[in-house]
Amino acid sequence: MTPDVAEGSALLKERVTFALFDRAARTVKFLLPIAALLLVWEGAVRAGLAESNILPAPSMVIARAIELLDVTNPAGGMLLTHIATSLYRALSAFAFAVLVAIPLGFLLGLSGTVYRWVSPVISLLLPLPAVAWTPILLVAFGQGDVTIITVCFLGAVFPVLYSTIQGVRSVSRQSVWVVRSMGANFGDIFVRVMLPATLPALMSGLKLGMAHAWRTLVAAEMLAALSSGLGYMIFAARSYMDVPTMFVGIVCLAVIGMLIEHFLFVPLENATTRKWEGAIHVGGRR
Amino acid sequence: MLANLATTPFPRMANAKPKIVADKVRMSFGRVNAIEDVTCTIGEQEFVSIIGPSGCGKSTFLYLIAGFEKSSGGTISVNGTTVTRPGPDRGVVFQEFVLFPWRTVLRNITLGLEIQKVPRREAEERARKWIRLTGLSGFEDAYPATLSGGMKQRVAIARALTYEPEVLLLDEPFGALDVQTKNYMIRDLQNLWIEANKTIVMVTHSVEEAVLMADRVLVFGARPSSIVADVRIDLPHPRTVDDRRLREYQAEVTAVLSAEVDRSMSLERAHPA
Repeated sequence: MTPDVAEGSALLKERVTFALFDRAARTVKFLLPIAALLLVWEGAVRAGLAESNILPAPSMVIARAIELLDVTNPAGGMLLTHIATSLYRALSAFAFAVLVAIPLGFLLGLSGTVYRWVSPVISLLLPLPAVAWTPILLVAFGQGDVTIITVCFLGAVFPVLYSTIQGVRSVSRQSVWVVRSMGANFGDIFVRVMLPATLPALMSGLKLGMAHAWRTLVAAEMLAALSSGLGYMIFAARSYMDVPTMFVGIVCLAVIGMLIEHFLFVPLENATTRKWEGAIHVGGRR
Repeated sequence: MLANLATTPFPRMANAKPKIVADKVRMSFGRVNAIEDVTCTIGEQEFVSIIGPSGCGKSTFLYLIAGFEKSSGGTISVNGTTVTRPGPDRGVVFQEFVLFPWRTVLRNITLGLEIQKVPRREAEERARKWIRLTGLSGFEDAYPATLSGGMKQRVAIARALTYEPEVLLLDEPFGALDVQTKNYMIRDLQNLWIEANKTIVMVTHSVEEAVLMADRVLVFGARPSSIVADVRIDLPHPRTVDDRRLREYQAEVTAVLSAEVDRSMSLERAHPA
């Protein structure tokens, strides 16, 4: 090995070490405030400052979660099923929303006439909470997955649609001109300019859409689920005054929502918009 | 770079064959008459600057040559063919660079060849030449967001030159750059022009830039505009800023231009938009 290569690989090693260290440090920084909150909470309940049958201590919630995760327990052990059902509903609603909203968004963004006709309707539907449709859908489809997924779909579709339209409309005239003067046809313009130029706006629309799907899910499950789902679990637990189970459900909702953001969207952004900004370097330094 | 340029023969365009011919070109936007009756001929490999009061329609005229917009009357032809839409025979560089942030410097520059279905390897090979000549070597894999304004404009120029258009249309190419960067770019662009053998039409609002770089300066009048002066700058290239004769040309163009600016101001006062 020449000295140059040796030096290079030492440098690389140092960078990788730094990256790992940096990552660990960030994780600790993130978890520390949460740990502090849990400690204060636990202390408050144990000191009798809060009534434990309304606000159970974190230790009680964890104990209940373990019970619920135990699949050999015939009475409980349903937590994983609830999570799986909820994830299936939210993700399929989101997938449908994306499949509908992105093509429709491009159509609306590209055609002035369609936009003039449809955009007032969208402005009206955008601020409407999707849950409001649930009773109507219950009448139409009854309880079950169809109603729940449709409500979540309605929650997710408008943010994605709206940001796709904004993204398409923000593409500058000049960037289309540049490729046209290279001899580009419509297909080239679409693939090489429109699609990538829309991506940053689309990305925030996708995040928002997924978040809306996840939020809408809980309410929809409370109203329309037959036997499973996290929303159902929380709602059903009220019949037994089972507050720890409700908390298990709430924690699951929060943590899963965060994990979706982290594992679905962060990698997607790193591969696209953040890379274009030049924000990504080996070692995670910015 | 470009050591062999100092002795470039001049003039090479006085009797050149016509490349761009504009015949009674008119352009109106709604009720506003932007351009009224522009007729001119730009010769092959000529470097022409267009200057005029702001809002006189000089950029619009450039867009008409590019084929981005349709004129309201008259015709423009390039190589004897009437312009109806943009085409790869005319490359364009905008003031705001208009780079594609999702493509690296190299990929921005090879885009034109990609669209023309040139194989990637060959496209990169051809791009290398212009990357070198525009001083971008070493930045091939950088994303535009990480570059300075001057570097971005170099990418835009290299991108337009790489697919080898016969005509290069520059819309205030130095407008967004600081003075220092601008002076470098002007020097480099003069050299590039001599190297590239292109016909160049450059819209600018700076008399200094126009006179320093161009063989001919077309002065556009106040709106609705037509050509009020056609000044030939009879000096060999490359030129330096401190040439005394350059000052005389500057004074000449400035005189015509000031009269037009005065006129456009008084028109605006008489008929506020």
